[in-house]
Amino acid sequence: MTTWIDAGCILIVFFALIILATSRIVGMIRIFVLQSCVLSLMPLFLHAEAVSARDVMLSLGTVSLKAALVPFVLFWAIRRISMRTEVKPLIGVGASIVCGALLIAGAFWVSLALRIPGRPVTDLGLPCALATVLLGFMIMVTRTRAVTQVIGYLVIENGIFLFAVSLFDAMPTLIEMGILLDIFVAVFIMAIVLNNINEEFEHDPGGESRAKMGETF
Amino acid sequence: MLSWLIFIPFLCALAALLPVRRIFRVWLLGATALLHASVVGAFWINRPAPEWNGYLVLDPLGLILLSIISFLFLSVAVFMIGYFQHEQRLNRTFIACLLLLLSTMTLVSVSYHMGLLWVAVETTTLFSAPLISFHRSRGSLEATWKYLLVCSVGIALALMGTFFLAIAANDVHTLFLPALLKQAPLLSVNWLKLSVIFLLVGYGCKMGLAPMHSWKPEAYGQATGMAVVLMAGGLTQCAFLALIRVSQICFQAGMSDFYASILIVTGVLSLIVPAVFILGEKNIKRCFSYSSIEHMGLLALGLGLGGLGLFGALFHMINNALVKVVMFLTAGSIAQKYGSSRVDDVRGLIRSYPLTGIFLLVALLAGTGMFPFATFHSELMIINAAVIAKHYWLAAAAVICLALMFIGVSRIALEMVYGQPTEPVLAKKENFYMNAAIAAAVALLLWFGFWLPEPLEKVLREAAALVGV
Repeated sequence: MTTWIDAGCILIVFFALIILATSRIVGMIRIFVLQSCVLSLMPLFLHAEAVSARDVMLSLGTVSLKAALVPFVLFWAIRRISMRTEVKPLIGVGASIVCGALLIAGAFWVSLALRIPGRPVTDLGLPCALATVLLGFMIMVTRTRAVTQVIGYLVIENGIFLFAVSLFDAMPTLIEMGILLDIFVAVFIMAIVLNNINEEFEHDPGGESRAKMGETF
Repeated sequence: MLSWLIFIPFLCALAALLPVRRIFRVWLLGATALLHASVVGAFWINRPAPEWNGYLVLDPLGLILLSIISFLFLSVAVFMIGYFQHEQRLNRTFIACLLLLLSTMTLVSVSYHMGLLWVAVETTTLFSAPLISFHRSRGSLEATWKYLLVCSVGIALALMGTFFLAIAANDVHTLFLPALLKQAPLLSVNWLKLSVIFLLVGYGCKMGLAPMHSWKPEAYGQATGMAVVLMAGGLTQCAFLALIRVSQICFQAGMSDFYASILIVTGVLSLIVPAVFILGEKNIKRCFSYSSIEHMGLLALGLGLGGLGLFGALFHMINNALVKVVMFLTAGSIAQKYGSSRVDDVRGLIRSYPLTGIFLLVALLAGTGMFPFATFHSELMIINAAVIAKHYWLAAAAVICLALMFIGVSRIALEMVYGQPTEPVLAKKENFYMNAAIAAAVALLLWFGFWLPEPLEKVLREAAALVGV
């Protein structure tokens, strides 16, 4: 089973890297869905010998919130503000991938120094989680659109969640569900604010602001 | 009882979403706030038992925060009765979010599990965001977005810190506060250090400590006064409670010095940064927002110094909330009367609206820690603690920053109060409800400034003993 777990961890980092290198917003959201699906399988892989009701609940919760509801809200938002392509990333695709690779290397190097007490199932959990969080930050920083910043935030959350499921079981299920729900509500409110921003800019007669629509400030 | 205190505002929030008349929602908020305040008042006599298998516990620290929150909502509710007599805007989302905020802030003050605490603090962030964009102007939407994004990422770091804490507590197997405190020596030191840094950055971001304060001037400058009172007096102090909890754990694990040194550095930074930025400011709300960063810095400094400083910081939590009521409700009342809060548009308050002018003077004096207001004592305690700990340069820096702050605020406030009166004026008369809400806070500031009531002092001492440092 360890092979599957390791493969899952690496896939999650890999998807984060692809999001960083994608320029179309729709594509970014689709890859985020894939990443969340892999993430939702992790609790099942980790306790493959004896899958408990808690693991199934966590898995279902992750899938339904992160792979279904959140993308739905994001798609709704970009349809409302009719914006499909990323216009100007601050850093080109090639440079982004190189920076991303450096971040991944950095994450692995840092995790060498950190020793986890107890006996973790996989050694890849911590470095992969850190790498995903760092890549999420990178997505947030290098993209100028509001929606892509939300995606960056979601990738960070996925990294943190990978960390949580792969390392320990100290969190009660109720709290984990609360965390998931909070993230969903966050995205929901962000989408509403985006929509309000868009409406405000559409009422504006000046044509110049129209071009800036959905762009952050 | 505790779960009802969380649940009833939540139900009322749902009721506020129904299509009813605007004034009905205002009265609903008032009734809920009154109920909340009376229950919290009863808690001062008889502390409630733990609930939800120990997830919800009200200790003296929580009681202080809970009373602050209750008072803030009550004054905002009273102020609002006057405010919505002149305001035609739809208040459905606004009041529903206020009630949800009351519910989640109550949850913060009673949660005794570090995971639940995170969930509660994150939820307060989410429900406070729509409050900023009440006016729906472009500036306020920008501010909302900035607030949401900066605080969400900050809080995500705090979640990371909470998970690091869980790793550190590998041998304790739980994140319940009493268990963590009892078995603190079992915590792994390296992971605890890492966790403390992440928690401080995360919750510090929410609290608006420098250098994570960038959302504050925008959000406070754009939001309506009532929302800012709850954010500056309530939300930021909820995050401070989280930092106090971390402090409790660090003390028991024998890591107070490590945590204290980081707290002192961020605290001093939060004193210096606003003192530099305030001098060029023209907008009274933004001006007060820098002052509120400075107050957060004082809280962090007091917690870091410990001893008398800790007692001062806890006392300052109460005073800070009272000052925020005076500051931002006055600013809100000015903004409604003149349609602006810039010094170019608002001048000569003492002639047009004498009472509002006096309140602005009180906001100036109390906000910068002048005698006879209670802030004078709490700020003095914190500076005194620095002197006792032989950090003379620290005390000197704090005094200089406070002086700069006074210059910065008085430059605008005095011009607004005594300058050549400006026209046009939107609302002709002073409103009784709005002034009553501010006057209550002024009276309490004066009262605590002259005499600290015995029950209050007892609870403050108990709370300080809980933290230990």
